[in-house]
Amino acid sequence: MDNNHETTATKPEGLEQDELIIQQHREIEKEISDSILLIGQKEELTSLETEYINDPVYLTKIQDLNKKYKCMRRARPDGNCFFRSFAFAYFEYLMDHNEEYKHFKERALKSKDELISCGFTQFTLEDFHDTFMEVVNLIGEGQHEKLYDTFNMQGYSDYVVVYLRLITSGQLQKDAEFYKHFIEGDRTVVEFCHQEVEPMFKESDHIHIIALSTALNVGVRVRYMDRGESSEAIAHDFPEGSPVCVHLLYRPGHYDILYSR
Amino acid sequence: MEPQYNSKSTAVKRLMREAIELSEPTDEYSAHPLEDNLFEWHFTMRGPQASEFDGGIYHGRILLPTEYPMKPPNIILLTPNGRWETNKKICLSISSHHPETWQPSWSIRTALLALIAFMPTNGRGSLGALEYTPEERLSLAKKSRNWICECCGQVSNLLANNKAKPLTKEESELIKSVTFKGEEAAEKVSKPSDQQKQEMEAINEEPVVNNISPNFLKDALCSDIGMYLIYLIIALISILVARRFYSA
Repeated sequence: MDNNHETTATKPEGLEQDELIIQQHREIEKEISDSILLIGQKEELTSLETEYINDPVYLTKIQDLNKKYKCMRRARPDGNCFFRSFAFAYFEYLMDHNEEYKHFKERALKSKDELISCGFTQFTLEDFHDTFMEVVNLIGEGQHEKLYDTFNMQGYSDYVVVYLRLITSGQLQKDAEFYKHFIEGDRTVVEFCHQEVEPMFKESDHIHIIALSTALNVGVRVRYMDRGESSEAIAHDFPEGSPVCVHLLYRPGHYDILYSR
Repeated sequence: MEPQYNSKSTAVKRLMREAIELSEPTDEYSAHPLEDNLFEWHFTMRGPQASEFDGGIYHGRILLPTEYPMKPPNIILLTPNGRWETNKKICLSISSHHPETWQPSWSIRTALLALIAFMPTNGRGSLGALEYTPEERLSLAKKSRNWICECCGQVSNLLANNKAKPLTKEESELIKSVTFKGEEAAEKVSKPSDQQKQEMEAINEEPVVNNISPNFLKDALCSDIGMYLIYLIIALISILVARRFYSA
C-alpha cells in the first residue's frame, strides 16, 4: 500500500552495512565474554607459545620474556584491557606495599573533588567514586583471592575501569596544552576525551597510558611484542624514568599482566 | 556469588540514586521506575517549543540493560507522535558526523534531555523514524494530552510546574551530538505498512473526547479498510460505466 508515511523505505544503503557490522561486533563480544575471564588466573608464559607455534619472531620474544618474567595473567580483550590490567596489577602491588597504599588511598579520596571541579557531573561521578573506593578499601584487607573475585564481578570491575577512564580524561584536560600535540585528526583534547577515553570498551593508546600513569604517579612498564627485528619484546616505561610497579604485556590491540622474576 | 547478580547490584545502586534524583517531576520531563521492576521506567516529556511537537505530552518506557550504566538505556515511545514509531525500541546511537558514544557518566535524565532535543530533527529515513507532515504531527501533539497510560494514568498530570534543572555545560554538549534510532535490523518493505497500520489503530483507539475528530476522514482514508472501500467504490463505478458503454 502506498501512502505518504515513508518509514524505512528511503534508508540509505550505507546504514544497512553499519548495522551488519554492529551486529557482527555484538556476536564477537558475546563469544569473548562467554569464554574469557575479566582477569584470568596466573599462568606460565610458555602458554603463549601454543598461539604462535609457526612464528619464529614471536617465539624468540616469548623465550626472552620467559627469562625476565615468571608468569602472566590474561585480561578479557573487551577494549578495557589496559585499564583493567593496570588496576588489578597495581592494586595487587599495593597489597604488599602498605605505605604506598596509604598514599594512594588519600589520592583516590581527593580525586573526586578534583574531577567535579574539572566539570564532570557530580551526581554520576559520586556513584563511580563510591564503588571505586569500596574496591580500594579491599586492598587494605590484604586478601588476594577477594580482590581477584571482585575484579571478575562485572559490575565492580567495570566501575573501576570507568573511574580510571575519568581520571585519565581529567589529566588530559588539565594538561591539554601538552597533550594536544599527540592527538591524531582534527579534534580538541575535550573531543578526544569524549570519543576515545570516557566511553567504555574504547581501546587505549600511548596517550591514555601516559596520562593515567602521570595522574596517579605510578610507573608502568609495557613490553611490546610485535613483528619488529629485535630478539626481545622492547620495554617502554611510563612516565619515563619512574620506578616500575606495574608490568604489562602488549600484543597488537591487547594488554595482559606480567609478573617479573 | 554469580557475576550476573553483582553486575546487577552496581546497577541497582545506581538506579536507586537516579530514582531519587528524578523523584520530583519538572515542567519538561518526569520519569520513575515501575513499582516491581527497577530496570523498567516510564517517562513523560513535553514536546519542544516552537516545533511540530509543541503542546504535545509524550509518554513512554525506558528499558535499562543489566549492564547499565555501561550500556545505554533503550527508549520506547507509547504515545503516537509522528516522529518515531510507537512500541518500538529506539536507542542512543553514534552519529556519523560526530562520532560519539554512550558514556557511563550520562544518566536517564541526560538521555531524556537528548531525546527531547533530538525530536525536531529530520529522521532522514533512519530506523524507526516516521516522516509525518507538520500538520499531522501537530494534530497528534494535540491528541497526545488526552493519552492515558495503563500504569501511570492521564499523562498530562505527570508533569509539574517546577522548572527543570538547568543544563550543565557537559549536558548541552552531549545533547548536540547524540542521535536516536530504531534498534532492530531493517524490515522488509512490506512490513512498514503493518507497522503503520498499528500506528493508525493506536491513533484511532485513543481516548479522544470529541466524537468526530477533524481528521476522522483522513484517518479513514489512510487505514487499510478505508483504502479497500475506495477500491471497491472505484471498481463498482467502472463496472457501471462499462455496462452503460456496452449497452449503448
